[in-house]
Amino acid sequence: MAVKKDYKDQKLAEKLRDRKYYIPDSNPEFLKEVEKIGQTPAHMCYQCGTCTGSCPSAPRSSYRIRLFMRKAVLGLEEEALTDPDLWLCTTCYSCTDRCPRDLAPTDAIMAMRNLAFKRDIVPRNFLQTVQLIYKSGHGVPNNDANRAARKKLGLDEEPETTHKYPEYLPGIQKILDHYKLKENADRILAEGA
Amino acid sequence: MAEDKYKEARIGVFLCHCGTNIAGTIDIDAVREYAKTIPNVVVVDNYAYMCSTPGQNKIADAIKEQNLTGIVVAACTPRLHEPTFRNATAAGGLNPFRFEMANIRDQNSWVHMHQPEEATEKAKDAVRIAVAKASLLEDLIPKSVPVEKTAMVVGGGVGGMQAALDLADAGIKTYLVEKSPTIGGRMSQLDKTFPTLDCSQCILTPKMVDVYRNKNIELLTYTEVEAVEGYIGNFDVTLRKKARGVLTPAEAEARGIVGGGCTGCGDCAEVCPVIKPNPFELGMAPRKAIYIYHPQVSPLIYTVDFDSCVKCGLCVESCGDKKAIDLDAKDELITVKVGTAILALGYDIYPIEKKFEWGYKNYDNVITSLEFERLICASGPTGGHLIRPSDGETPKRIAFVLCAGSRDNTDTGKPYCSRFCCMYSLKHAHQIIEKIPGAVPYIFYMDIRSFGKMYEEFYYRIQNEGAKFIRGRVANITEDPVTKNLHVNAEDTLLGRPIDMEVDMVVLAAAIQPSAETEKTRRLFGVSCSQDGWLLEAHPKLNPCGTTTAGVYLAGVCQGPKDIPDTVAQAEGAASAASIPIHKGEVELEPYFAVCLEDKCAGCGMCVYQCPYSALSLVEKDGRTVMHVTEAKCKGCGTCGGFCPGGAIWMQHFASPQIVAQIDAFLLGGEQ
Repeated sequence: MAVKKDYKDQKLAEKLRDRKYYIPDSNPEFLKEVEKIGQTPAHMCYQCGTCTGSCPSAPRSSYRIRLFMRKAVLGLEEEALTDPDLWLCTTCYSCTDRCPRDLAPTDAIMAMRNLAFKRDIVPRNFLQTVQLIYKSGHGVPNNDANRAARKKLGLDEEPETTHKYPEYLPGIQKILDHYKLKENADRILAEGA
Repeated sequence: MAEDKYKEARIGVFLCHCGTNIAGTIDIDAVREYAKTIPNVVVVDNYAYMCSTPGQNKIADAIKEQNLTGIVVAACTPRLHEPTFRNATAAGGLNPFRFEMANIRDQNSWVHMHQPEEATEKAKDAVRIAVAKASLLEDLIPKSVPVEKTAMVVGGGVGGMQAALDLADAGIKTYLVEKSPTIGGRMSQLDKTFPTLDCSQCILTPKMVDVYRNKNIELLTYTEVEAVEGYIGNFDVTLRKKARGVLTPAEAEARGIVGGGCTGCGDCAEVCPVIKPNPFELGMAPRKAIYIYHPQVSPLIYTVDFDSCVKCGLCVESCGDKKAIDLDAKDELITVKVGTAILALGYDIYPIEKKFEWGYKNYDNVITSLEFERLICASGPTGGHLIRPSDGETPKRIAFVLCAGSRDNTDTGKPYCSRFCCMYSLKHAHQIIEKIPGAVPYIFYMDIRSFGKMYEEFYYRIQNEGAKFIRGRVANITEDPVTKNLHVNAEDTLLGRPIDMEVDMVVLAAAIQPSAETEKTRRLFGVSCSQDGWLLEAHPKLNPCGTTTAGVYLAGVCQGPKDIPDTVAQAEGAASAASIPIHKGEVELEPYFAVCLEDKCAGCGMCVYQCPYSALSLVEKDGRTVMHVTEAKCKGCGTCGGFCPGGAIWMQHFASPQIVAQIDAFLLGGEQ
C-alpha cells in the first residue's frame, strides 16, 4: 500500500504522491471478473499497441485501451474503474478485429464498464442517455433539423423505429425496467444533483 | 510354442525410484513386497536410479546369480531407457529381448501425483502385467540389412547444398534434387547477410560451383520427387525430371550431337518473343519463355517454360549447330536407389496480403522484405537503386513493419516467431542509411530479437547509425491517393501516444511458412509435421536432425524458422547423421517382424493384401503355397497377425500368447 505522506500544501502533496505499484494495490479477482464478463482471455495481452493504434478515440482523447488491458492484467481495479477515460470507447471493435492475440479488448472495456456501473461509477451523460432511451426509444431522438434533412433526401420524416411506431415503446421500457437501468439512472442522477 | 518355457520362467523385477519422481508418489516398499508374490518372480530389488551404473549392475549380477530367464524394470519409459536396460540384460548374459519395461513414471507417478494410494495399486498392476509378458519372452536376433552407399538431398538451397557437399566430401555419392532450374534457393535472392554484411551471392556462388563440379554429387535440377519406396538403407526414389527443353552438353553427346548442348550463351532468349515475369525477381523483372533466373545460375543451362512457349522455333534456329533445344521434350521418370535421405525443403513467404489492414498488393509502395532485397541488390531489377514502385522516386522515409503476420494467433497469421526478420530489418535499415543520403528508417517493433553471435552488437550499430525504433505494432496503413505516400498508424507504446506517420515506403517483414512442396514431399518420405506445418524432428533437443522415419533427416528452415548460420549448422549435422548408416554399411532392424508358421499356413494369401508395407508375398515351398515375409520391409504392425484366420502368423515380441497373458494378468488380478 502506498506510504501516506503529510504535506500541509495539498497541491504539493498530490505532486509528491507515491505512485509506485504495490502488490496489495492489485486485486486478482478483478482480472477474473473482467475475463468472465468480457469472455476474452485478457491476460494474454502482450502490449503491442495495435488496439490503441486502431482506436478512433485515442488520437482525440486521453483514452488508451492498451493501458486498460494492462490494468486489468495487473488487477488495478480502483485505477481502471475510476478513470473517466473508460467511457471514451466508441465500441467500434477495430481493436478486436486487429488484435494479433485474437483478444477482444472492446469486450474487456465493456466488462469494466459493467463493473463500474455496479459501483455507481458512470458519467452523467450516459445516465441521461438511458433516460432518453426510456422516454423515446432513442439515445439521440429525432429533431427538427434531422426531419428537414430526411425530407430533403426523400425519406419519411420519422424513421422506422419507435418514432413511427410508439406502440412498441412499452416493450423497450419493460426491458430497461427488468434490468433496473432506468431506476438506477434516476437514482444516481438524483444523488449527484 | 511357449508352454514349456512358462514353467521354467525365472523373472527378476527391479523397481526404480527415479529419485523422488517415482518414490515420491508410489510406495516402493509396498510394490516390492507385492512383486515377491507374483508367480515366476524369483528376485525383487529396488534402487534410487536403476539407469545408473550400480543399478544396471544389479540386473546383470542377478541374471548370473539367480539364473534368470526374464527381466522386468519398472521405471520411466521405454522411449528413454529401453536401450539402457536391454544392454544391462545382455551384460548379464541374457538375450536383450528378454527384457520388459513397466512404465510407472510417465504414465503413473507423474499423472497421479496427488493420488499416491491409487498410483501404488496401478504400479502393482503394471508390474504384474510386465511379469506375465516377461515369462513368455523368447530369444530374438536382430536382422541386419546392407545399406546402399548413396544418399539423396531434396532441396538445393544453402542447406541442401551444404549437406550434399559434406556427404560428397565424405566419399558418398549424393543425388541433389532441386525443383527449380538452378540451385541457390532463397539465399541467392538476398543482397547482403547479417550481421557481417557479406554479399550473399559472393559467398554462395563458390558453393554453387563446388556442388556443380563435385564428382560425387549428381545434380538433378528441375526435378521433383515422385514416389518413395523402401526403408533405411534401401530407398527406391522415383524422380520426375521435368521437360526442360534444353540439352546439357552431356545429354547432347548422348544423342550423338558432338560438341553440342547448351553453353549458356543466351542467343535463344534474345530472339524469344514471349515475355513473362521472372519469379526469381518476384515478378519485378521480365524473362523470356526460354530463360535463366539470373547470370550466376548453376548449372548454366537454359530452360523452356512450356506453359508459355508458343513453339515458334526462333530459339532453335538461333542455337544453330549446338542443337541444344528440343521443343518436343517430355517429362522423364527415373528411379534411383539411396541409403539415406535429407530433406531441405525451405520456406515460402506468407501471403501477407491476407492482412488487408496493411494494404500489400493494394498500395503500390507497400512491399515485402524479399522485394526490398531484390530492389536494393546491385544485380536486381533496378541495379540496386531502391525506388518507389508508384513513381520511381527514391524514398527517404521508410517504415519497417516487424512481426508482419508472425506471432499472430488469428486465422490470418502465424503463431510462431519467424526468427530472422528482426535481424534482416536491421540490415535493411543499415542499407538505406548507407545508400540514400538523408534517408531515415523507422522500425516498428514489439521486441528486437537479436539472439545470435554478434547480433546484439549489430543492433547497437544500427541504432548508432541513426535508425529510429518505435515500439508498437502497426495497426493499419492508409494511402494518400494523390502522392501515394503512406500513413502508418500505430501506438508508440513507450510514449503511450498514437502516431500517424507519413512515409514514402513501407517494408513488411512478412512471416514465413513451409514451402508449397513440403506437405507432398514429407508424405512421400513418411515424415511427420507439427501443427504449423514445419517438419517434426525426432527429438527437439537431442535429435534435431533426425525424423521418426529411420534414414530420413532434416536440414534448414523446413524443420522450423532459422537463419543461414543455423541452417548450415543443421545441414552439416544432418549430413553427418545421414552418413553414419552408410559408413557402417548395415543397419540393424528391430526383430519385431511377422513370422509365418508354415505348417499352419493355408496359403490363402489374404494377408498379402492386408499388409500396408508390401512386405508379404506367396511362395512355393515343398510343393505347398505359403506366405513369405520380407523382414526388412515388415514394420511389425500386426495387421496380418491379427487377421490370419488360421493363426499361422507369429508376431515376434508381440505374439498372441504374450498379449493374452498380459490381458489375463490384468483382468484376473493375478489369480491365474
